[in-house]
Amino acid sequence: MSDLLFLILRRLRAPLITVICVYAISVGGLALIPGMTPEGIREPMSIFHAFYVMSYTATTIGFGEIPYPFTDAQRLWVTFAIYLSVIGWAYTLGSVVALANDQPFRIMVRRSIFNWQVRGLAEPFYVLCGYGQSGARLSRALDRLGNRLVIIDPSPERMAPIAVQDYGTPPITLAADARLADVLDDSGIRSPFCLGLIALAGEDGVNQSIAIGARVLNPDILIVARAKSTVAKVNLESFGGVAVINPFETFAFNLGVGLRSPEIVQIEDWLTATTGSPIPPAIQPPRGRWVLVGFGRFGRAIAQVLDQEGIEWKAFDPREETEADQRLVHGDYTENVLHDAGVEHADVLVAGSDGDSVNLGATTLARRVKPDIFVVIRQNQMQDKSLVEAARANLKFVQSEIMVNECLQVLKTPMLGRFIAQLRAGDSAQAAAVLARTRQAVGDLSPDTWAFECDVLQPGMFFAFFQRVGLPFRIQHLLEDPTNPGERLHATPLMLERDRETRLLPADDTILKPGDRVLFAGDDSARRLQQRYLVEPGTVAWVCSGSEPPRGLIFRWLQKRRARAEA
Amino acid sequence: MNLEKVIFGFFIIFACTLNFGFFIGDIERHELHHPMELFAAVVVNLIATVLKFGDRTQLGATHLATSLVASLQLVAASMVWVWQLYVVGQPMNAELTAVVVSLSGGALLANVFSVILLIGETLRQGR
Repeated sequence: MSDLLFLILRRLRAPLITVICVYAISVGGLALIPGMTPEGIREPMSIFHAFYVMSYTATTIGFGEIPYPFTDAQRLWVTFAIYLSVIGWAYTLGSVVALANDQPFRIMVRRSIFNWQVRGLAEPFYVLCGYGQSGARLSRALDRLGNRLVIIDPSPERMAPIAVQDYGTPPITLAADARLADVLDDSGIRSPFCLGLIALAGEDGVNQSIAIGARVLNPDILIVARAKSTVAKVNLESFGGVAVINPFETFAFNLGVGLRSPEIVQIEDWLTATTGSPIPPAIQPPRGRWVLVGFGRFGRAIAQVLDQEGIEWKAFDPREETEADQRLVHGDYTENVLHDAGVEHADVLVAGSDGDSVNLGATTLARRVKPDIFVVIRQNQMQDKSLVEAARANLKFVQSEIMVNECLQVLKTPMLGRFIAQLRAGDSAQAAAVLARTRQAVGDLSPDTWAFECDVLQPGMFFAFFQRVGLPFRIQHLLEDPTNPGERLHATPLMLERDRETRLLPADDTILKPGDRVLFAGDDSARRLQQRYLVEPGTVAWVCSGSEPPRGLIFRWLQKRRARAEA
Repeated sequence: MNLEKVIFGFFIIFACTLNFGFFIGDIERHELHHPMELFAAVVVNLIATVLKFGDRTQLGATHLATSLVASLQLVAASMVWVWQLYVVGQPMNAELTAVVVSLSGGALLANVFSVILLIGETLRQGR
């Protein structure tokens, strides 16, 4: 704010001095020119009266001639003063208006307001750098989860729709380059309320500098960055402490998992989808022969996975600079080239170029020669959504969707990511068992997931582990409804983490230990009811023993006395 | 020679000298303190204040503070004068003249500090 004040003062220095001078000359002159009192005494006007007259004359109010009618000499001077003061004021007001319209000044005003808003944030928030397709989706998802957002993007046009979109709480936005340390600092990443920073800028280099800058400014903050190239990903990962998401690799990896055990992908999609979504089908792409349309970052990521799986593939791409590989055909996206790539004998078509029309065209051409071909299509632009959906591909790759799912996993429940990693390490049978048990407990719609930590610093957990004289505290206690005796919450444990050891699908009668973390899936009300076990020792006692202990000092003493009397 | 330094120094010293000119003379006799000189001192002090706007150094801030003090005191002195003549409607008496002149004396002190700062700054730069 003081920056702004100093800028205003500096810019208005000349106009203010002009106004002072104009007044000084007019008032001084008027106070020197002799006037005439009604008694006929020649006497100059006092400075006070001169200032009064000039004040209303200069502002063109004009009350007339006081204290006595002017002499002609005075009138002559006032005439001169009127023109002088009009020029002075015109110059000053013009400068003020010019300053208000000045671009650097407006940017500074915007920045001051932004800083002030961020400093006033007293609730958990995320900083999001980059408001493209992924950024827009993610910000809406985070907003729906009840988090405040600070959004930074260099382009004000891209952020313009934020003002009219239906956000629960309007995000705080700034059009600036988040690579600059002062911008990052002002965005509040050092605030105790800042939950994390997400770098979703279009270029990898930008995301790298943002992530590294943020890490230096705040070593404890959670950072998620997008890296579209493998080099950038490796760079950031070696820097440490940054969760790096490469959407192409993520999709290709899931495709590889899906080739072996589609149930794993199915349960992952189900658990990470928006709460309440129906269960997705298990899709297993055929192994057969694959044709890749477009061999950019996406095509390459898929080819790598196919190589690992030992699947035969052919790709074509019009760009000449791609490396020499027999399986790579150079050519534009026409029917002839599709034939050259052997689409007649292919089982899978990956329409993965960076043009939606090319992808749709290739899909149509391939289906003409082989109607039952399995199609994986890539959607690049949000506005082509309905077109790509109409193509009814078997699998769809939307970068922003992958980004949002992955980011939410990292930001919301990091434990869910570890759970999914465990599932991926296992086989289909395990995934199928997990899915069956979870569906039985919470139904077919996508559940919420959350981690429950047996944190003994919380009064409820302290009571559960240390004040109940050795009685075991089990997972089933956490599943009981604290408001409805005997009712089970709509939730099921997915994983138990104890020190470094993890256990999938722990049984309900598992005895918990201090520091254990349990991943639950269930509905939101179950999550909120379960939180009571953390903070309310009475509730813990009640689910464990069926009676609530007295809370006050006197009642505790009375109870002890009664117990002693009974003994 | 730097024109900005000339103008800056001119106004600061001019503010001080005008202030001194008004202040000098028997504190109780209003005929020794001309209102026109007080008026000139107010105007030059205001200009000096505005000239000090926008300098963000520590020295600049102190400069601005001294000028603000001087302007405030001089404006207060002229208000006392105006009050006596036009609100009370009496000619200046000995007590009120003493009030006005002592207020301008305070302003003079602030202006002297301002000049000391100016001299100190010049000597420190040594060029």
